[in-house]
Amino acid sequence: MASPIVRLKPVRKANPLHFAAHVVLLGVGLILLYPLFFMILAGFFSKEEFSMTILPFIPIPNNPTLMNYKTLIFGSVDSSTSTYILNSLYRTLYNTFWALLTSFLAGYAFARLKFKGKDGLFLTLLATQMIPGTIALIPTYLQLARWPYANGNDIFTGGTGILNTWWVYLIGGPAINIMGMFLVKQSLEKVPIELDEAAKVDGAGTLRLIFQILLPLQLPILAFVAITTALGTWNDFATPFFYTSSDSLQTLPSAITRMSSAAIGPVGTPNYPMMITLGLGTTLPALLIFFFFQKYIVQGLASTGIKG
Amino acid sequence: MEQTVPLEHPIRKTRFKRLLVRHRDAFIAAAILGPMIFWWLVTSGFPTLFGFVLGFFEWIGIQGNPKFIGLDNYIRFFQDPLYYGALLRSIWMGALVSITTLSAGFGAALLMNMPLFGKGVYRSIWYIPAVTSTVATTQIFNLLLDPNNGMINNFIKSMGYEPIVWQFSVPWSVFWIVVYSVWKGVGGAALIWLAGLQSVDVTLYEAADIDGAGRRQKLRHVTIPGLKPIATYIIITSLIGAIQIYEQVMFMTGGGPYGQTEVLVFRIYRDAFWDFNLGMAGASSLVMAVIVFTVTTIYYRRTTRSDRRMTIPLKKVK
Repeated sequence: MASPIVRLKPVRKANPLHFAAHVVLLGVGLILLYPLFFMILAGFFSKEEFSMTILPFIPIPNNPTLMNYKTLIFGSVDSSTSTYILNSLYRTLYNTFWALLTSFLAGYAFARLKFKGKDGLFLTLLATQMIPGTIALIPTYLQLARWPYANGNDIFTGGTGILNTWWVYLIGGPAINIMGMFLVKQSLEKVPIELDEAAKVDGAGTLRLIFQILLPLQLPILAFVAITTALGTWNDFATPFFYTSSDSLQTLPSAITRMSSAAIGPVGTPNYPMMITLGLGTTLPALLIFFFFQKYIVQGLASTGIKG
Repeated sequence: MEQTVPLEHPIRKTRFKRLLVRHRDAFIAAAILGPMIFWWLVTSGFPTLFGFVLGFFEWIGIQGNPKFIGLDNYIRFFQDPLYYGALLRSIWMGALVSITTLSAGFGAALLMNMPLFGKGVYRSIWYIPAVTSTVATTQIFNLLLDPNNGMINNFIKSMGYEPIVWQFSVPWSVFWIVVYSVWKGVGGAALIWLAGLQSVDVTLYEAADIDGAGRRQKLRHVTIPGLKPIATYIIITSLIGAIQIYEQVMFMTGGGPYGQTEVLVFRIYRDAFWDFNLGMAGASSLVMAVIVFTVTTIYYRRTTRSDRRMTIPLKKVK
């Protein structure tokens, strides 16, 4: 039987096009990761050696030191690293908690409840998302500074208000998270309403319906809300940088911002390796979040982008 | 006779209950939405409205007294090259960033859409820059570009050429800002393009196969038309994001050389927090808001009319 037979399944051959795709994706991918490689290596330099080395693309220290990494993890006498890390962490947890709570409940209200003016309210809230955030920057500063009866203010003026206090970070929490509300609503609308009715027939109350039946179905989209909020807060340098000044209130990104603006100043040599290690300390937790939950990021990006 | 008295009470009770039942949804909605929308109005709505008003005042320094000057700030905005120049730079640099990011991302998405071994790994690697902190990574770019001891210049010197002082040259400064922005954005763009590619109806490809279409013809007649909705979405959101970039400008060039890379949002920051010219900062914010709002509204009109799709521009995932 040497006669040629029509092959139903083509045998997989080494496809030159696939090979080229691998080369491009991997090659460019490694270039994209270069800044992270550099950060890891630079962390092993001492301040003195770093300033004396003529930097090549791949710097290898002659006398590698763990000092920077130790300072990052355990803190040191002249650095409040652990305060920065804890501040970042508390802010992130706080904002993520509120984002989840408000977007889930608001998403439920808009997807499942019937009330007058629902569509109008929904569209108005969405429309505000198009206004760029920069416009509120200065008014927010004024609002925080003039917060009634806070820190020496009579009704509006006189003191510093809640600027430069923990309230700067706490104040925004309970406000509705419009982006998350939108996503949860879209996702809830794909759950058939018959499920609610069946649950009610079986005797479930509203709270039970919301938290025991609908909530578990929304976990993927809530994961996306949580991840974007967590990453956004963790990397946010602007809020602490503009609205706080004392050292004990800084977060990792804002501390780096301050160190690097101090580095531009005329006095002394900047401690680049330490700054870079702090930067790595900022980046790594974000990477961990990303690696553990990347499935949800892909799904979430897709659902925001493609269809409702 | 005696029976009527006890009856009255239950009837009133059921009426009240009926009211409660009929408007049950509204009560629950008010209980859920009321507090969080109120608080949103206080912490976000009010400052935004205040920002719109700010542009109509002359207000130098927070201690100073605001003075109503009508449209003077806006007239200055469009006469002073410091401001309209910054706006134009925002637009063309934003366009440059957008076009480069989207085309690179599209190319990457086409490759990632192939049946490759380990494509999930590539997706992650390409997206990693998007989750890093801007402060931390611009620092590495600054070291890379340092005129005295930067890695690139050290490499150029080791090849025997003259080092380049990137920071003194406008084209190079713009170039590196664009490179940084693309570095950070290309993975996200690729993911969205990829989701778009995978949402194209598979049967169309099968039909094209039967008709004997080649790879290039399929790209042109099936893939690209199928991508249209997501293309509008991603182009608009990326443009809106890109005309508002300022962090990389602030950390990499500081607007230099000679203010030639100063974009509008960075100008707003300088006005607000360095020069304390609150009126001009408010006016510039309003101009930016109007531009963004107009672009988005046009986009909505077009998309909701054509296919009733509800998409909203994502705030940048930091």
